[in-house]
Amino acid sequence: MPLYICNSGKGTIDDAAKPKIASDITRIHCDVTGAPPQFVHAFFVEDSPAQPLGDKSVLLFGSIRSGRTDAQKAQIIEEMQASIHTHTGLSLEEIGMITADVPASWVLEGGEIMPEPGEEAEWLAKHGQHASAE
Amino acid sequence: MIPCNCVVQEGQIPDDTAAALRASISAFTERTFGAPAEFRWLTVPKRSGFTASAPSTSSVISLRAPRAVSPMEREPLLRELCGVWTEHTKCSLNELVGVISDPVAD
Repeated sequence: MPLYICNSGKGTIDDAAKPKIASDITRIHCDVTGAPPQFVHAFFVEDSPAQPLGDKSVLLFGSIRSGRTDAQKAQIIEEMQASIHTHTGLSLEEIGMITADVPASWVLEGGEIMPEPGEEAEWLAKHGQHASAE
Repeated sequence: MIPCNCVVQEGQIPDDTAAALRASISAFTERTFGAPAEFRWLTVPKRSGFTASAPSTSSVISLRAPRAVSPMEREPLLRELCGVWTEHTKCSLNELVGVISDPVAD
């Protein structure tokens, strides 16, 4: 966690663009929140009914830990939409994004309950194996 | 039914393993919450999953409890749920994100 799932129509995002967008998603999330990259998952799927596209060509759904401010979430959305725009050529209007807050205490990752935002360094120090594994 | 969302990387879990895994997870939700699991299974295509910007081997198991779960109860349930997953798939806990969420507030 965070888990970013990017749903799009078939062929909308080619394989060359995915690692670039994933890298941007990771960087943006870490820059905005201060979280370490080890926690950031970015998955790309096509025509997934779980994240309906509606009138969009791409929908990025981010499950992020509770505690981020509205300003942080707005910045994440703005910058991630811009990344997808840059790497796909889609207009910003065709790119939707939603975030959902998930309490850290609801999540087990690396065999441990996730740390609250701001407590990651201590968590990672305790779980060095997890950090090096990713 | 207990909504249960699973996200896996393509080719990571053979079909027969996935079937046995779903049966064990449903047995877990029956034991714990008194109802079977209703699965939404999402497979991430090859070259489409990334963790820390690198190709991912991570999976996600996320279920929504039918009642509020206390912190004292949630952690052991998460450990049991993730234990079911790693036992079937042989993946490590470092490759798994487990979530047990409370019901959506009205």
